[in-house]
Amino acid sequence: MYQHDVLVIGAGLAGMRAALAAQQAGADTAIITKVTPVRSHSNAAQGGINAALTHLGDDWHEHAYETVKGSDYLGDQDAIEILAQDAGRSIIELEHMGVIFSRGPDGKLGTRHFGGQQRARTFYVADITGAAILHVLFEQILKAKTRVYEEWFVTSLIMEDGECRGVVAMEIKSGKLEVITAKAVILATGGCGRVFEPSTNGLIVTGDGMGLAYNAGAPLMDMEMTQFHPTTLKNNGILMTEAARGEGGYLLNSKGERFMEKYAPTFKELASRDVVSRSEQTEINEGRGIDGCVLLDLRHLGREAIETKLAYINEIAIDYMGFSLADKPIPVRPGYHYIMGGIKTNVDGLTKIPGLYAAGETACVSVHGGNRLGANSLLDTVVFGRRSGEHAAQMVKSKPAPKVSEARVQQDEKHIKALLDRPANGDSVAKIRLDMGNAMTENVQVFRNEQGMKTALADIKKTQERYKKVAVGNKGKVFNTSLIFALELGFMVDLAEVIVAGALARKESRGAHARTDFPDRDDVNWMKHTLAYNTENGPKLDYLPVVFTQWEPKVRSY
Amino acid sequence: MQITLKVKRYNPEATSEDKKSYFQEYKVDAPADSTVLDSLIQIREYQDESLTLRCSCRGAICGSCAMRVNGHAGLMCKTKVEKALGKNNVILVEPMGNQPVVKDLVVDMSLFFDKVRAVEPYLQPVGPEPKEERIASNEDMLHLVGVMSCIMCGACVSDCTVLEMDPNFLGPAALAKAYRFVADPRDGKTKERITEYNKYGGIWDCTRCMECVQVCPKGVDPMGRIMMLRTKADELGTKDYSYGVRHADAFEDSVKKGGKLNEAELVINTFGFFNVPKLLGMLPVAMRAAYKRKMPSLFHKSIPGVQSVRRIMSKAHEVEKVQGKKPMPR
Amino acid sequence: MKFAFYPGCVSKGGCPELFASAVAVAEKFGIELDEMKGASCTGAGILQEKNRFLGDCLNARTFAMAENMGLPILTICSTCQGVFSQAHQRLDRDPSYRAQVNEVLKEEGLEYKGTVEVKHMLWVLAEDIGATEVKKRVVRPLTGLRVAPFYGCYLVRPSSALGFDMHPARQTSLESIIEACGAEVVDFPGKTRCCGFPITTINEKNSMGMVAKHTLDAKDRGADAMVTPCPLCHLNLDGYQPKAAAQVNENIDLPILHLPQMLGLALGLDSNILGMGRNIMTTYNVLMKVGVKIH
Repeated sequence: MYQHDVLVIGAGLAGMRAALAAQQAGADTAIITKVTPVRSHSNAAQGGINAALTHLGDDWHEHAYETVKGSDYLGDQDAIEILAQDAGRSIIELEHMGVIFSRGPDGKLGTRHFGGQQRARTFYVADITGAAILHVLFEQILKAKTRVYEEWFVTSLIMEDGECRGVVAMEIKSGKLEVITAKAVILATGGCGRVFEPSTNGLIVTGDGMGLAYNAGAPLMDMEMTQFHPTTLKNNGILMTEAARGEGGYLLNSKGERFMEKYAPTFKELASRDVVSRSEQTEINEGRGIDGCVLLDLRHLGREAIETKLAYINEIAIDYMGFSLADKPIPVRPGYHYIMGGIKTNVDGLTKIPGLYAAGETACVSVHGGNRLGANSLLDTVVFGRRSGEHAAQMVKSKPAPKVSEARVQQDEKHIKALLDRPANGDSVAKIRLDMGNAMTENVQVFRNEQGMKTALADIKKTQERYKKVAVGNKGKVFNTSLIFALELGFMVDLAEVIVAGALARKESRGAHARTDFPDRDDVNWMKHTLAYNTENGPKLDYLPVVFTQWEPKVRSY
Repeated sequence: MQITLKVKRYNPEATSEDKKSYFQEYKVDAPADSTVLDSLIQIREYQDESLTLRCSCRGAICGSCAMRVNGHAGLMCKTKVEKALGKNNVILVEPMGNQPVVKDLVVDMSLFFDKVRAVEPYLQPVGPEPKEERIASNEDMLHLVGVMSCIMCGACVSDCTVLEMDPNFLGPAALAKAYRFVADPRDGKTKERITEYNKYGGIWDCTRCMECVQVCPKGVDPMGRIMMLRTKADELGTKDYSYGVRHADAFEDSVKKGGKLNEAELVINTFGFFNVPKLLGMLPVAMRAAYKRKMPSLFHKSIPGVQSVRRIMSKAHEVEKVQGKKPMPR
Repeated sequence: MKFAFYPGCVSKGGCPELFASAVAVAEKFGIELDEMKGASCTGAGILQEKNRFLGDCLNARTFAMAENMGLPILTICSTCQGVFSQAHQRLDRDPSYRAQVNEVLKEEGLEYKGTVEVKHMLWVLAEDIGATEVKKRVVRPLTGLRVAPFYGCYLVRPSSALGFDMHPARQTSLESIIEACGAEVVDFPGKTRCCGFPITTINEKNSMGMVAKHTLDAKDRGADAMVTPCPLCHLNLDGYQPKAAAQVNENIDLPILHLPQMLGLALGLDSNILGMGRNIMTTYNVLMKVGVKIH
C-alpha cells in the first residue's frame, strides 16, 4: 500500500503539468502511468500551441472569440476566457522551463498560422511541438524528483462514501495489484482514439481515465463531438500536421483544383478542421477524390522550408510513402483524431465526484465544444493541467489521509482472475476491438445519419456481449500485455456506446457532429451539453446549458 | 508476401531453462510496404497473444518499439519488411542489447534513464527570471531541434560499443541530452556541466565507433554531439581526467609541425614528457614494436608543402575568430 | 587503373609493412599508384573533435590536390577512408559550407570543386577488379586457412557517407576477398564492431577489453587469423594483443593480417616483402598453414 496527497494518472502533457503544479504547491505528489512518461501520445501533437501574447501585440479576446466560433458555440465561454487569458503565461512558463520554441528575427518567440484563426498565434518547435514540450516537462519532472509509478495500470478508482480515495493498480512488470491511496486523484489519461479504426492515435490511447470515471459514476460530456483531422496519411492513418497548411500548403482534388476556395472563400485550407474535413469528404463522395483521398501539396513551399519546418512529416512521407514532400503531393483523408468530449469538469478540473479531477483530452471543461481549433489542445493540457494540480494541492491541505483497507485489492484481483480463467471460445480481444473500430468508422463518421448510427449502436452492443465472454490468451504474471488489452477494451466498448448514444440523440448538425438528416444547427433545442451517466442499461443521457459571457451565437462561416 | 519472423523469446516464469529463452518462428503474410512492427502486431493479435513487446504510435515518435532486427537496433515501426528480409525471407527480431530483458522483446530501461538523470537533464539558467521569454536566436533553436528530436527509444544505448564493456559510461543518449543544454544559449551552467562530463565515464570514453549514429532512427547523431562536447571542453580549456583534450591538442600540434601524424611524439605529448608512470606503462608495447623494427621514429620528416598546411590551419582558426564560432554544415 | 595514392600516416610510421605490401599487391593487379606526398593527415577523427571545420579544410586541400592530378584517391586505411568520406559528404551536401572551406584554400591557389572520388583499396579490389578476377590471379590459394574479417568502424559507419546505397556489396567486400584468396570466412559478431583504438590512451582498460573480446570471439569460432583493412585496428588488435590477453588472463595468440598481407600471400608474394615478420603476433602458423617457406 502506498500513500500520497495527490496522485496523477497519466504522464502526458496534462498529467506532468498537473503533477508539477501540485508538487510546487507543496503536496506530496506522484504520477502513475501505464507507459514510460515520454511514450505518451502528447508526442504526436505536431503543429504548435496557441496563445495571444500581449507583448507581441495580440489580444486574448480575439483568441477566445475564435475558439468560441470554432466550437460552434458549444464551448463554455467562461472556461474559454480562462483558456485564452492564461495562454500567454503558460507559453512563457514553458519557454522558461526550456522549450526550444521557434523565434522571430528579434529573438523573441515566433508564430505560424493555424486553422480557424485570422492571426498567426501558434507557437511551435518545427513540427514536433508536442514531443518537444513533453520532453521538457519530463526534464522538469526529473528535476523535481517526482515519484513516478512507471508502467503501472490502474484497474479501478477507490470510491468510498461518494468520494475518490485512491486507486487500485497493477505493476505491469510483476502483475501485482496494489492499493495507492490519495486525497485527490487527477485523471490525465488522454483520449479514446482506439475506439475508431483507423485513428491517428497511438495504440495506448484507450480512454482508460474516461472509463474509470464513468464506472465510478462521473458523467461524461459531449462525447458525440469527435474530431476528424483533415490530413491523415492514406494507408496507416498517421497524422500530417495542420502546420503543413499553416505554412501555406494546398489541398487539391483529382482535377487539381484548390477546392477549399469553394467551401471557405476567406480561410480556404485554414478553415476550422470540421469544415475542411467535411469539404474533403464531399469532394471524395462526389467523385473528385483519388482512391478515397485528396492531395496535400507542399511543393511550392520549397525544399528548405519543408526540411526545416516540417521535417518530421517529411520523414514520415519518405518512410511510409517513399518520397519527399518537396517532390510530390501526398494523399490524405479525414481520419479520427481527437474527442472534444470527456469527463465533465469545472474550470478547476474537478469532476462531479469529490476528490476526483480530470485534465487534458480526457476532460471536458468545455473549451472545445463542438470542434477544437488546431493547437488549442496543447494549450488545454497545460492550462487546465496546472489549474487541476493547483486546486487539488490546496484542497488536500485540509483533508486527512484516507483510510482504505488493503483488502480492497481483492475486488480487482477477483475480476482479473475471472477474466484470466475464462475458457477460450475462438473470439479474441483484437477481433472485438477491430469490429468495434470498423463499426464506428463506418457509421459515426464525418457525416452521420439516424440509420447508420442505429446500425453502429447495434454493432457496439454485440461487441459488448462478446467482450463478456472473451478469453485472455496469455495467463502469465510478468508483463502480460494481453491482459492489459482486455482491460482497456472493457473501457472502450462502453465509451463507444456513449459516443453513439449521444450522437443519435443530438438531432442537429453542430461542429464536428454533422448529420445528413439534420443538416442545420438548432440553437433553440440543442444549444446544450450532453451528459452521459453509466447505468446497468447503458448510458443515461441528460443535458446541461452552455455558459455564455460575451459572444452571441452567429452563423458560422470561414 | 509470405515471410518468417524468427523471434527471440524470453519467459521468466517458465519452469525449465530451455523454455525460458528460445527462438520461435512465425509465418506472416506481410504486405510489401508494411513494417516489421505491423508483422509483430499481426502475430500478437492473431497468432500468439503471449508475444510481448512495447509499441504505440506507429509513426516513429513515441520511441516504444526499439528492438534489434538482424542484429542491429532500430524502431520496428520504421523498419520496412522489404528492407529487413534476409535469406529465405527470414527476419531476425531480438530485444535491445545492453539492457536486461523483462519478457520477450521488452527490456528494462532503467539503466537508460539512470544515465539521463545523471547529466542533470534540465535547463539551468542563471540570473533573475525575465517576465517575458528569454531572447535566443532562431538559428540556435533550430540547431537544438536536431538533438531534441531524440525520442529516448534506447537504440543507441542498445548498440553502444563502450557500454558493452563498461556500464559506467554515460552513453550516447544521455550525452546527447547533455549537449542539448550545453548548446542551449539560455543555460548558464556550461562550465560546470563540461567539468562533470569530463570525468571518467563521460565524453572521453566514447570510442567514436559510430554505432549510435548508424542506429539512431531520428538522425540525432549522438556521437557527433559527444564530439561537439569535446570541442566545447577544448574551447573552455577544462582539465579532463583522461588526457582527452591533450591528446587532441598534441594531435593538432603534430599535424601542424609535420603535416602528418607522429605517433611517438603524440604519445609523449599526450601524457607529458615527465609523466613517467604512464609512459612506463606503454613501454612493453613500445619494446615489442622496437623488437619488430616498427617503432615509429621520434624525428619525422615533414611532408613537402607543410607550410601550406600550417597556413590553412591558422586561417581556419581565424575564420572561427571572425565569425565567433566554427562554421557548420547544414 | 591509376590512382592518387594516399597511404596515410600509420602505413608510413607504425605499420611500414602495410605500405610495402599494399604497393606490392597493387603492382600485381596493374594498379598504378601516384603517391600524394604533399597530402596532410586526415585528422583521423581526433582533430575533428577539436575543430571539425579545420579538419574539413585540410581534407578539402587533399581533395583539391587530387582533382588537379585528375585522379581518384586510393586509401589503404579504414579510418582515413571514413574521415575522407564524411568530409566529402559534408562538403557535397552543403555548397555554402564548401564555399567557406574554399575561402580558406584560396590563398594556397586551391579550390575543391566537389568532383573527387575516394576509394579504399578493398573497394577497388571488390568493385573495380572484382572478386572473380582476384581469384584468377591467386597462385597460392589459402586453402584451409580460417580467416575472421575485421572491417574497422570507419569503413562501415555511417553507411550514408560510405555509398552503401549505390554499392551494397561494400558491406560484404572483405568476406568476398577472403574467399577469393581461397581462405574460409569465419563470421563473428565483432567483425563490424570497434577495436577500441581511439580510447587506448584514454581508457586503456575498455580498449583492451574490446581487443580481447573480438580476438577471443574469432578464435572461439575457429579462426587461424584475422584480417583488417585498417592499420589503426591493426595497431590495437596486434600491437596491444599481449596486453589485452594479460588483462583477461587468457592466451589469445591470434595473428592479425593487413588486407594486402593476406592478398600478397595468395598472390605468391615473398613473405619478406609483405613484412610478415613485423607483425607483433607471430604469423608463423599462418605461413606454415599456407605452405610458405620461412627463410
